[in-house]
Amino acid sequence: MNAIKETFNAFTQKYGTGVATFVAVSVLVWTVFLIIMPQVAMFDYSLRFNLPASQIGGPNDVYTLDNYKYFFQGNDNTVNYLDMGILLKTLVAALFVTIIDVIICYPIAYILAHSATGVSARLMVIGLIVPFWVNEILRAFAFRVLFGATGMVNGIGMNMGLWDTPIDFIRADVALYSGLTYAYILLMIFPIFNAVEALDRNQIEAARDMGASWWRVHWRVVLPIAKPGIASGSTMVFMLTAGALAAPQILGGPSNLWFTQLIYQWFNQSANWQRGSAYAVVLLLVCIAFVMMMMRVFKVSIGEIGR
Amino acid sequence: MNKGTGGGFFAAAYSLLFYTFLFGPLIIMVITAFNSSSFPRITPWECFTTDWFSVLINNDRLMEGLGNSVIIGIGVMFIGVPLGLAGALALSELGPKLRATLYTVLIVPILIPGVVLGISTIVFWGAMGRGVGAGYDSLFFNGMFLTMAGQVTFISAYAMLVFIARLQRFDPTLTEAALDLGATPGQAFRKIMLPFLSPAIGSAAFLTLLASFENYNTTVFTILSGNTFTTALASKVRLGTDPSLSALAVIIIGITLVGAMVHEAHTRRAEVIRTGTASRSRIYGNPVLKVLVHPAAVLMILLAAIGYTVYQGAQYDSSVCTQGILDEKLERQRILREEQRKKIEAQRKAQEAEGGAAETFSKPKSPSAFGGAFGNSGALAPAGD
Repeated sequence: MNAIKETFNAFTQKYGTGVATFVAVSVLVWTVFLIIMPQVAMFDYSLRFNLPASQIGGPNDVYTLDNYKYFFQGNDNTVNYLDMGILLKTLVAALFVTIIDVIICYPIAYILAHSATGVSARLMVIGLIVPFWVNEILRAFAFRVLFGATGMVNGIGMNMGLWDTPIDFIRADVALYSGLTYAYILLMIFPIFNAVEALDRNQIEAARDMGASWWRVHWRVVLPIAKPGIASGSTMVFMLTAGALAAPQILGGPSNLWFTQLIYQWFNQSANWQRGSAYAVVLLLVCIAFVMMMMRVFKVSIGEIGR
Repeated sequence: MNKGTGGGFFAAAYSLLFYTFLFGPLIIMVITAFNSSSFPRITPWECFTTDWFSVLINNDRLMEGLGNSVIIGIGVMFIGVPLGLAGALALSELGPKLRATLYTVLIVPILIPGVVLGISTIVFWGAMGRGVGAGYDSLFFNGMFLTMAGQVTFISAYAMLVFIARLQRFDPTLTEAALDLGATPGQAFRKIMLPFLSPAIGSAAFLTLLASFENYNTTVFTILSGNTFTTALASKVRLGTDPSLSALAVIIIGITLVGAMVHEAHTRRAEVIRTGTASRSRIYGNPVLKVLVHPAAVLMILLAAIGYTVYQGAQYDSSVCTQGILDEKLERQRILREEQRKKIEAQRKAQEAEGGAAETFSKPKSPSAFGGAFGNSGALAPAGD
């Protein structure tokens, strides 16, 4: 409390009472009313029964763990393999997409930072940004056009005689994984680029002069520098992929749900907001736990994210 | 390409492959906007058409959503930029320990799934509304307000990151000097800090506007029964696809490219002016070229070109060609039916020849690939239509 007061006083001395009040009120409103309270309210909501409006606040409106119990045990006290399976599948798929993104983005970030020069480098940066101005929904739609039954990929494959009947890429989730990989490429490239750019080119040249192979140069010189960037990019890509809703809705197969779609269904189709909130809390906790574990493994702090 | 640091054949090939992946889907989508086939595809190519643009503009739901999105975007911009600025300023003054805590709290909304943010927003404001006894037509249950509240939560953090990056280069002695020279603290802020931050304010405003416009995951919950541009688009894509969405992509990509070119012209010009090499440059030294590469001139030229293209496109009439395609399809269908009819006839005759027992058998199994689709209509339709 004292530290906050001191900061407020320092602000007043530097920029006047007006600015200090503005900063204090804004940060307070932002943290309390926009970030913390809504999460608390959601948690509280997830601990309640789904009651008709007339009974809310009445004697029946008590706390319960029913919604969480449903996630683990379903209605009949057996293990709820379906919902837990969907969560697990979502996490594994998100991890898979993240790894693919690292593999795709690392070389291009390195090339951008150290190999490309002049006009080509400028064009490459612009070329990276332009596709991400297009709406997320339209990007997913583009992949649907590509992978549809009469889409481009099937057309080419069948014309070349690689396969005879159209392959259902949507049902096989190929379209979904490609779309998700595509969707967050930019968020992976820029952190890696920022990290790799700090590397002194002379180090690479020195390693080459000493006779190190390219693999060795990357493994021993470039990768250690790129690690914080990779961790920060991976965190963002993983969280966004696990929490993605648009791409799974548009590109997902009819029988293959993403965990966010399950939450969406509790809200919009079953009108059971309480259970939806409980599922949202589960998603939030699992994602945070997963990311913190990864950060522990790769020894990076949250302060490095968003740089 | 710089050879010493790995700019060889492999790097070039990889870059090419990467950019193909990046642009390929978009290019294909753009091409499908001009194919008259009612499913977005390139093969088979039917007719060149510009009709999908008018289909797009006549979509009322999308246009209503566009209006809502603009209002929400402007609202989010006016709330999010000041919040982001306040957050960045607070972080710049706090001690290291509190700073880390506050940074974590403020940055977390970027990381947590948008779905969670949307749900927590509607649940929280709904509880508040019930707490103060407000009706369902009040602010607490208004989709536009809730969407702004939900989006501001994390979009302000984007703005904050922009301000933090700018503040890192701020020289605090400037403020101290101003205070020493007798400026009031308020003046020091207005005349030193704000002008220093003004480029960041511009880019933060732009970023918040774009992020608000693009957002789907949070908005789809907070907008309740309403629609923004993105949610209307998503429900259209989910219900069924037609190339008017590709037409929309053409428009968005067009705007983006114009923006990128004008921005590039602006940066290059600023660069040349800053380094003072304008008179020696081949382009900027030439009086005619100098006017032509001015950002405003670039914008005018591009707009004129687009205006001409749009006018030509609006004049283009593809109805003859689409009618031709339709006739061709009908003709093919007619031939198929004819074949089907003959086949049935032949089969019936064969059965008659075999004996009267099979006469009641009226639905022969068709060996053709279209058997399922045309078998029934072939039998039911009047022959030779």
